[in-house]
Amino acid sequence: MKNLTHIWFIALKDLKLFVTDKTAMFFFVAFPFLFILLFNTMMSGIGAEDERITLHVLTRDDSGTYSQMLLEAYETTEESKLDPDDHSPIIIWLKDIDYATAKQQVEDKTLSGFVAFPKGFSADIETFKNEILAGEKPLHFINLDSQLEVIVDPDNTDQQIALNGVANIIATQMNAMQATMKSTALLADDPTDAINTFFQQLNTGQWAKDLPSVNYQTTIVGDVEAGNPANYVIPGYLVMFTFFAALQGGAQIVQQRQNNTLERMLTSSVSKEAILGGTFLGIFLRGLLQITIFWTLGSLVFNIDLGIAPAAVIIISVLMVLMSSACALMLATLIKTERAADGIATLTALLLAPLGGCWWPLFITPKWMQFIAKITPHAWANNGFNKLMVFGADFSSVVPEMIALLCFAIGFGTIAVLRFRTSSIQ
Amino acid sequence: MPDEFLIAKELHKSFSEIKAVNGVSFSINRGEIFGLLGPNGAGKTTTIRMLATVLQPDSGEVTIGGYSTHQNAPKARSLIGVCPQDLALYEELSAIDNLVFFGRMSGLDGKEAKEQADINLRLMGLEDRAKGKIAKFSGGMKRRINLAVALMGTPEMLFLDEPTVGIDPQSRNSIYEVIENLRDKGMTILYTTHYMEEASRLCKRVAIIDGGQMIAMDTPTALKSQIGDPDKITLEDVFLHYTGRSLRD
Repeated sequence: MKNLTHIWFIALKDLKLFVTDKTAMFFFVAFPFLFILLFNTMMSGIGAEDERITLHVLTRDDSGTYSQMLLEAYETTEESKLDPDDHSPIIIWLKDIDYATAKQQVEDKTLSGFVAFPKGFSADIETFKNEILAGEKPLHFINLDSQLEVIVDPDNTDQQIALNGVANIIATQMNAMQATMKSTALLADDPTDAINTFFQQLNTGQWAKDLPSVNYQTTIVGDVEAGNPANYVIPGYLVMFTFFAALQGGAQIVQQRQNNTLERMLTSSVSKEAILGGTFLGIFLRGLLQITIFWTLGSLVFNIDLGIAPAAVIIISVLMVLMSSACALMLATLIKTERAADGIATLTALLLAPLGGCWWPLFITPKWMQFIAKITPHAWANNGFNKLMVFGADFSSVVPEMIALLCFAIGFGTIAVLRFRTSSIQ
Repeated sequence: MPDEFLIAKELHKSFSEIKAVNGVSFSINRGEIFGLLGPNGAGKTTTIRMLATVLQPDSGEVTIGGYSTHQNAPKARSLIGVCPQDLALYEELSAIDNLVFFGRMSGLDGKEAKEQADINLRLMGLEDRAKGKIAKFSGGMKRRINLAVALMGTPEMLFLDEPTVGIDPQSRNSIYEVIENLRDKGMTILYTTHYMEEASRLCKRVAIIDGGQMIAMDTPTALKSQIGDPDKITLEDVFLHYTGRSLRD
C-alpha cells in the first residue's frame, strides 16, 4: 500500500512537471497539431481533385450521321460529370473545330489529343448494310482499327494510353456490330426486317450505350482511395510525438539520477521498486494525456473516423504509450548522462518515425520498406491505425499489431527493470 | 555510557581499482554533531552515501538507531534525513511543492506534509517564497531549501554533506543557526565541510579522513592539543598537519 502511494505521488509529480513546463507542452502537444494541420491541408488537396481524365473525340465523316450518333452516345452528359461514382473518362466531342484545327492545337500543346472518326464512315456502313440486304456477301468489311485515328501529344502518356483505349473499344464495338449484322442476315427468317431493326437501334445510339466503355480510375494511395487524410496523418504524428515525448521523459530520469533527486527519494524511505514504478507511471500518464488530446482534437477539429472498432484504436494507442514508456525507462538505464540521453532520444525518435511510417503511410511504400519497418514498434502501431481508420478493418484484424506492441513493451520493460538504478555512482 | 545512535564498523568501498573508503570506523552519539573533515577525494561523500543506504559497502557494517542498514534498510532510512552536497531539488517545482513531495515520500500524509513544509520554510526564513520556483532562487536560498527538504518527515538524524558550500555569509550564518537550533532539540548530525571554522563552531567531535582512511578523531580542542597550544592552534592547522600541504585533485 505504501509502495502504491509512493508510485502514485511520484507519477503525479512527473505529470505536474510536464504540464507546468510550457516548452514541453508546446513541443509535444501544440507543435504536433501545427504539423498535422500543415500536412492534413497538403494531403487534402490530393483527395479533393476530380481525377477523371478528359478525352476528346471528333469526326471527319461528312457522308452520313452514324458517327455523329455514336459520338452523341459516347459524349459525357452533365449528369454523368456530377456523379461521384462514375469513374469513366469525361469524353468531349469537338463539334466546333475541324480536324486540321484540332491537330494544330495538339501540336501547339493547347489540346492533349483526340480520336477522329474517318471520312466516309457512314457511307461505308450504308454500303455494308445495302450489300447484306441485297443478299450479297459483303466484301467491304469496315476495319476501324486501321481507320480510326488517334492524334496525341507525345509527352502526355496518360492521354496516349487512354485515347488508344477508347479507339480500341470503338473499333471492337464496330467490328462486333458488323459480325452481328452478318449473322443476323444469315440466320433470320426475314433478314430485311432484322437488319432494319438493328440499324434502328444503331440510329438511337443504343448500341454504344450497351457495349462496354473505357473505365479509368485514379488510385491515390495503394488500392484504396482515402477519404480524409487526417485518418492517417494524425495517427502517424500521434505515434511519433508520443514516442518522442516518452523518450524525453527517459532523459529526465537520467537528469533526476544525476542531480540525486532519485537518490533522495530512496533515502526518504521509498523503495527502488516504487521509484521505478512511479517514474514509469509518470511517463505513461503523460502519454495518455497526449493521446487524449490528440484523439479529442482529431475528432473535433479534423473530423477523423475511428472506423468500425474504436475500442481497438484506443487499445493500440494505450499499448503504444505503454511501449514508449517502457522504452524511455530502458533508455534511462542504458545512458549515463542527461546530455547523451537528450541526443539519443531525439535521434532515435527522428530515425524511427519515418522508418515506421509516421511521416507517410507505410502502405504507399515499397514492399521491402514495409518489411524493414516491422523492426520498429512505430510500424506496428501505424499499421494497426491504418487498418482500422483507413481500410475499415475490424477488431480481430489488428490483434497481431496489439500483440507486437505488447511484446516490444515487455522486452523494453524487462531490460529497464533489470538495469534500473537510482544513483549515477554504484 | 553514551548512547551511540550511529555505528560504522570497518567500512570498505572500491570503484574499479580505486579504494575510496578503506576500513573506516566511528560512532556518533545521540544528539551529537559529528564533523567529518577531509580534503577533496578523501572519501567523505562515499562514506555518507554508505551510511545513508544509497551505496552498498563492499564490507563493513552500519547500524542507525539500532537498525542495520544492510538487514533493515527501510527502518534505518526512516530515521534519517539527507542533505546532499549537490542540490537534489526539482527546479521547475515551487519550494512548497518540493517540500510536500519529499514529505509524502517520507511517509507523511497530505496534511502533515503541508504543515511540516510550512514550519520548515519558516525555519529557513523562506515562508514568503513558498510558491516561488526553485529555478528562480539564489544559491543561498536553494541551499536552505535543500536543508529544509532533509528535515521533512522529522528524522532523528541528519546527514549534512557540505551544506554551506558556495553561498554568501548571510545564508551560511542562517544555516548555522538552524543547525544549532536542531542540535539544541536533540538532533543527531553528521556534518562534512571544508570550512574549519564552521566545524569548530558546530561540531562536538571531528574526524579527519584522507585516502579513504580515518587518521584522527576527537574533540576540536583535543585535536589541537595534540599538535600544540590549543589556544593558538586552529582546526585548520590540525587539518593541514594530518593531511599535508600538497595539492589534491
